[in-house]
Amino acid sequence: MSAISYTDAPVRVRDDLVASHRRAWERLARPGTWWSGSERVAMAAEVRNAAGCPFCRERKAALSPHVVSGSHASLGALSDAAVEVIHQVTADPARVSKAWFEKCQAGGLSDAHYVEMIGVIVTVVSIDSFCRGIGVPAPPLPAPEPGEPTRRRPSAARPERAWVPMIPASDARGEEADLWARSRTGNVIRALSLVPDEVRGLKDLSATHYLSMDEMMDLRRGKGTLNRSQVELIAGRVSALNECFY
Amino acid sequence: MSENEIDLHAITDGAAAEASGVLHADVLVALAEAQVAGDEAALVRARRGVVGRLGSEGLVDAAAVAANFERMVRIADSTGIPLDAPVNAMTGDIRGDLGIGRFASASNTAEAGWLARALGPPARSALLGTLKLVYAVRSRLSPR
Repeated sequence: MSAISYTDAPVRVRDDLVASHRRAWERLARPGTWWSGSERVAMAAEVRNAAGCPFCRERKAALSPHVVSGSHASLGALSDAAVEVIHQVTADPARVSKAWFEKCQAGGLSDAHYVEMIGVIVTVVSIDSFCRGIGVPAPPLPAPEPGEPTRRRPSAARPERAWVPMIPASDARGEEADLWARSRTGNVIRALSLVPDEVRGLKDLSATHYLSMDEMMDLRRGKGTLNRSQVELIAGRVSALNECFY
Repeated sequence: MSENEIDLHAITDGAAAEASGVLHADVLVALAEAQVAGDEAALVRARRGVVGRLGSEGLVDAAAVAANFERMVRIADSTGIPLDAPVNAMTGDIRGDLGIGRFASASNTAEAGWLARALGPPARSALLGTLKLVYAVRSRLSPR
């Protein structure tokens, strides 16, 4: 597999960022917890394909996405339910709802398959967004690795107010003890905890793109050339543009 | 605006960036907006603006932060998580003034109880120390 490289970029990319992107691509190619390596890479390809989907464009322009009928322009490697999740979360995340989520589950996606899929989607979205920001083409997707998913569901995960079960803040123990320390976590970290490896991937990317969990607690801490106010302004503006309440 | 005052309106209104009190906010917000929109012409201008003020390292740092939150918003919205209780208690007044409650995902969070709402702002002040967040006065003077 050829590793991600930004040597042709017009700006020098920090070594820690390059390394975390390479690790993300390695994780993407490997069999996950519920999906094979081939399926994970197919999901990544579908994320990129969503940008050119006429149905997604039409739905996003509509007052309500539910009033538009049609089907996604998909690459054909995944089920309709999987394609719907990938396209909707990639192209119009602000308008997903609990009813939509339940419909996706009824279409054959288990909660754990769904959570892992979200982990794959957001990995590709964020690395591609970074490339767009600095002005380089998105890196080629990795070749999938053979092997079987582990199909391991953490026993501590349980339903809360969120749509998907999560590991309670105080219950990251045993094999999940590394997910967060001493209950110091947030719902957005716990959101993917039904698939602990996706939390590990999220933490790895967030630590280089933004701040590690420990750094986050220190309000004087910035990132590289940016002070904390600048970092949080960018974070807040991106969240508002995406109409994210969280 | 003093060095210790941050006007939060730039979060919901990019045009307010320059007056936000955050150094180089105008170019950082322009990059964030162009990166989310994927508007290539705006991106070219925005990159030039950030590099001109913060250097190429600043562009990498800013693009990485923006990309990080393209990820976090999708995790939050697609899993239906509510705001963490302390944040919910400490930011109710800010969210109200910025109008964030209109976002669809606001329905995932129940309103904090009266005691949490009462204790939230003093707790926020204690957490932020001398840093003052400006949000209410401008929105009352110039409703948007």
